[in-house]
Amino acid sequence: MQNKKSNPIYTNYVEFSPGRDPFEKSRKKGSRRWILSHIFYGSNKLFIIIVLFTTIVASNLSSITLVVIGNAVTDFLIGNESSLQFYVITILLLSIGTPILRLINYMLREVIAQRLERDCRKEFYANLLGKSQSFHDQQKIGELMARATDDVRTMNYLISPAISLIFESFTALIIPLFYIVSFYPSQLIFAPLIFTVSFYFSLKSYIKKIGPVTGRLRSFYGMMNATLNEALTGIEVVKATAQEYKESEKYFEHAKSYRDAFVEQGYIEAKYLPILLLALTITGGLIHAIILNFYGLINIGQIIAYLGLLALLRFPTFISIFVFAIIRLAVSSAQRLLELMNIKTEIDENIEGYSKLIEGDIKFENVTFFYPGNEKPVLKNVSFEIQAGHTLAIVGTTGSGKTTLAKLISRLYDVNEGKILIDNIDIRNYALKSLRNQISHVDQDVFLFSTSIFENISFGHASSIEKVIEVAKEAQAHDFILNLPEQYDSEVGERGVQLSGGERQRIAIARAFLVDPKILILDDSTSAIDSNTEDQIQKAIRNILKNRTTILITHRLSQIRWADLIIVLKAGEIIAKGTHEELLKTSEEYQRIFIKKFDVKIEELIKQCEET
Amino acid sequence: MAYGWDLEAEEYDREFSDRALLKRILSYFGPYKRSMAIVIFFITISSLTSAFVPVLISVIINNLETNKNILYLIFIVILILILNLLSWVFNYFQQRHSFRVVGGVVLDLRRDATNAVLNHDLSFFDRNPTGKIVSRVNSDSDTFGTTVDLSIQLVSSILIVLFLLIIMFFINLILTLAMIISVPMFFVLALSFRKIARKRTLLGQRALASVNDFVKESFSGIRIAKTFRQEEKLYEKFNKVNDTSYKVSLRRAFVLNAIFPSLGIIQGIVITLLVFYGGNSVLGGEISAGDLNLFLQGLNYLFFPLLSIASFWPTFQAGMSASERIFALIDTVPIVVQTDNIVPSRLKGEIEIKNLIFHYEKNKKVFDNFNLSIGPGESVAIVGHTGAGKSSLAKLIARFYEFQGGDILVDGISIRNYDLKEYRTQIGIIPQSPFLFADTIENNIKYCCKNANREDVYNALNITSGIDWIEDISNGLETNIGERGSRLSMGQRQLVVFARVLLEGPSILILDEATASVDPFTETKIQDALQKTIEGRTSIIIAHRLWTVRHVDRIIVLDNGKIIEEGNHEILMAKGGKYAELYNTYFRHQSLQYIQELCERKA
Repeated sequence: MQNKKSNPIYTNYVEFSPGRDPFEKSRKKGSRRWILSHIFYGSNKLFIIIVLFTTIVASNLSSITLVVIGNAVTDFLIGNESSLQFYVITILLLSIGTPILRLINYMLREVIAQRLERDCRKEFYANLLGKSQSFHDQQKIGELMARATDDVRTMNYLISPAISLIFESFTALIIPLFYIVSFYPSQLIFAPLIFTVSFYFSLKSYIKKIGPVTGRLRSFYGMMNATLNEALTGIEVVKATAQEYKESEKYFEHAKSYRDAFVEQGYIEAKYLPILLLALTITGGLIHAIILNFYGLINIGQIIAYLGLLALLRFPTFISIFVFAIIRLAVSSAQRLLELMNIKTEIDENIEGYSKLIEGDIKFENVTFFYPGNEKPVLKNVSFEIQAGHTLAIVGTTGSGKTTLAKLISRLYDVNEGKILIDNIDIRNYALKSLRNQISHVDQDVFLFSTSIFENISFGHASSIEKVIEVAKEAQAHDFILNLPEQYDSEVGERGVQLSGGERQRIAIARAFLVDPKILILDDSTSAIDSNTEDQIQKAIRNILKNRTTILITHRLSQIRWADLIIVLKAGEIIAKGTHEELLKTSEEYQRIFIKKFDVKIEELIKQCEET
Repeated sequence: MAYGWDLEAEEYDREFSDRALLKRILSYFGPYKRSMAIVIFFITISSLTSAFVPVLISVIINNLETNKNILYLIFIVILILILNLLSWVFNYFQQRHSFRVVGGVVLDLRRDATNAVLNHDLSFFDRNPTGKIVSRVNSDSDTFGTTVDLSIQLVSSILIVLFLLIIMFFINLILTLAMIISVPMFFVLALSFRKIARKRTLLGQRALASVNDFVKESFSGIRIAKTFRQEEKLYEKFNKVNDTSYKVSLRRAFVLNAIFPSLGIIQGIVITLLVFYGGNSVLGGEISAGDLNLFLQGLNYLFFPLLSIASFWPTFQAGMSASERIFALIDTVPIVVQTDNIVPSRLKGEIEIKNLIFHYEKNKKVFDNFNLSIGPGESVAIVGHTGAGKSSLAKLIARFYEFQGGDILVDGISIRNYDLKEYRTQIGIIPQSPFLFADTIENNIKYCCKNANREDVYNALNITSGIDWIEDISNGLETNIGERGSRLSMGQRQLVVFARVLLEGPSILILDEATASVDPFTETKIQDALQKTIEGRTSIIIAHRLWTVRHVDRIIVLDNGKIIEEGNHEILMAKGGKYAELYNTYFRHQSLQYIQELCERKA
């Protein structure tokens, strides 16, 4: 028997996979490798080559245009009239050709970027679908949504514009240098070279300074949102206790911190050196050119071209102000995505395990359980036995371990100590699929998909409408469904009919009827105490309990009273166990509930039971 | 700050006239007059100095072409160096002050908006969802700030363009005209792109929202999907939604990416024209090479400013709309208005409602000539079907809403005449689903009362429900209970609120009982807490618990805003009227009898 106390065996258990996963290896090698594997995936490789090629060519064309203009001016100054036509046509072709080439470049990089987004999202979604239920139990839906939409979108921006702009800037820094060296005295490379070096260092320092400030801005903004949102959501309390001023001050503190960080960011941006460096470079180049001109090494047309080539440096200077912020965001998004995707689960599917029809005997033997990473046990030495076809009611406050106990039966987690047996076989020895197929859950918060009621009830099982109606009747749902505008075809959800908690619960019960499991876990802990359909709900619950083993988590004293076995949980331990009559006689806590609630004396309570 | 060529900005319908709005916006800049003056000053000289540099360069080139005067050249070069430095320094000061001004204005706006919002009546919050309000206060003010910044940049852009064009105009008319052609072409192109871009952006947003919704639904129902082996189907559907988003986004991206190259083509055509006409002029000796260079470089200098100007209008509109939305928040007329400021001494809790007329909306009267008297210290339970007016009564007494006729008197004085905040501290209100702050249990209990200490908190808990349940929670009183108190159960939240109210010690208690069921242990504690809390004060309870209706002094049955039955539980049951009907519908199943009656055992 495997005793998984503190080091469970982690496997790559996957519950669903849509085919070969080309990114499986790169996911484990860190965010950079992963991003690169996406960028170079499939036909992207061809596009990238074209993009790189067109960027370089376009940059060359810009430089050539300037050289040509320089030559034109030289010719004009000499008085060479015949050359005018040639120059006009050449410059026209070059000046129009360059943007057209850029257009092709941008289109292709967009394709790469959008593909990256689409494929990342697909990968993320499939990966999450394949994760076990225990993983999903620990996630917040809002977080998953933010990852799947926003974080993946940031990856898109990584390519377009960020990386492509960086590459363009890089070519704009390097390629003009070649032209300067080729067409003009090589020493003129001096000024732009100094610029490149000093630009690199001042940019590095700028990025280092602005990073933390931007982070602070974001976090203060988040706090502003949270504080205001909380105050407004609880505005009744705020007004009732006359605390408007207090909330206003709270908000103002955060808004002030935001303003201070904002001003600080402004200071750093104002000091952005590269702009000054560029101006000085152009001036320096000009001085150099003037000197050379005096020595007759360079003519005016060439000076004009040279100045034009230096002006090409404006592009990287201005772009760099914001491009790095995008990259930073993208890398942290990638890390968040990978973090989630790389989580492994501890349950293995045990294909060779038992695969048989369950009767429904459940036995817990000295079960102790900790949630992974927690020190305090949620369940301590829990032992009980429930026979097939019987109902077990679990009573306890929040945090007593009720829901956890139910989760362990489906093997959503493995116990740390002790064992759980179904039909006298340890559940770890069953094939996971077979086990889970025969255990159904009706949850606290009933989830309905936004499809028709018919589809919600028959979910996953091909069923006839007659069968669905039959189970709906057992679940006491048929009547209210008939009252809906389109009855069983009515759409549920945001754009459909709004159902009350009791109605949703009965649909979930109908669903469970259809599946007809041998073991049912029914969590009824969010009912209403004053529901006017209480009779129907009671009936529905009593119907579903028949002929199967049910673990019932409920507050309804009526259901507790009639359970075959009642367990009272407190802080993860069973403090009382037995039938209603037994507990009334032996457990003080249990007595207190009934006495206080119904305002009767204990003797009367016991008498009533004996009469039944 | 954003580089902000926002060609996708939206325009909302606006109600304020431009003039009135501008006037109000400018009033926010009042406290920053000095900084604004500095900003405008530096922006002007910064633009002028940076526009001067290309002119000086052309002067140098002209000189090289003609008489090569070394001293003159050195002088100009030094001038250029100085101008470069000055330009950067001026820009530095301008940016510093500009950020200070924008930051300050946005902060002031936010502060005013938040103050106004927190002091609005409850009816305001009925009409406006919290999310939208928060978005207006935080995000719209952000948009506004960006617009202010862009407006400042605009001034710089306009100055540069004007200055350069004027100089060029004096050098050569035709070439200047060739350059000016590009300006309207720029605008037309930018504006027509804007329309297409906006449409595509909306489509893109919608597609992404569909993806978002689908992901939400998939993972909300993941357990069901897994139980019924539906992963494959979900994956297929997802791919469809994802692919649609891909296609739509790609189309949008194509449109947006075409803008710069298109503007580049315009630039190219203009350069060609310049070379043509300029070349001719140089050949004819009309202009010098240096001047031609000025024109050619000038186009580069004009590119970014022109783009700023072209995309300014929509961004400006977006900013105006944003400020308008914020002002709309601030200007909401309060409905609950006090007519006097009497500070009540300790209230006895005698409530007298006389001929009350109240409706939320024009056609639906909730109370019409309603009368009720409650003595000090009396406990009253109100029952009735939904919509009978139960919560309205409670809210009116708390002065959350204004009534249209009649009067409500507490201790003989109309509640309209009390100082509202002082009055409210003497009323304890427990709503149906109690709201708790994302803070410790202790701080939540102390929320009402600045001077309370831990001992007071312990006492309050001890008296209401006992403190043993606190010890079961991980950090006891110091536990942070999460957003809205989500780390505590429904029942436990109620216990916290009872303790808070006891600590507050009001004269009048208004309690709207929760309808959600609570585990039996906590339920008994709640009953204890309830009993302790209603002791010795006037209590009005909208009852859902059987225990409550059995133990109050008086039960009032409301139907359509009228009292149809009054009395205690036994009397009303004996009558066999509306109360008995309500009992059988809602309360009966909380009774021991009902539980015993469920004899149908599973076979």
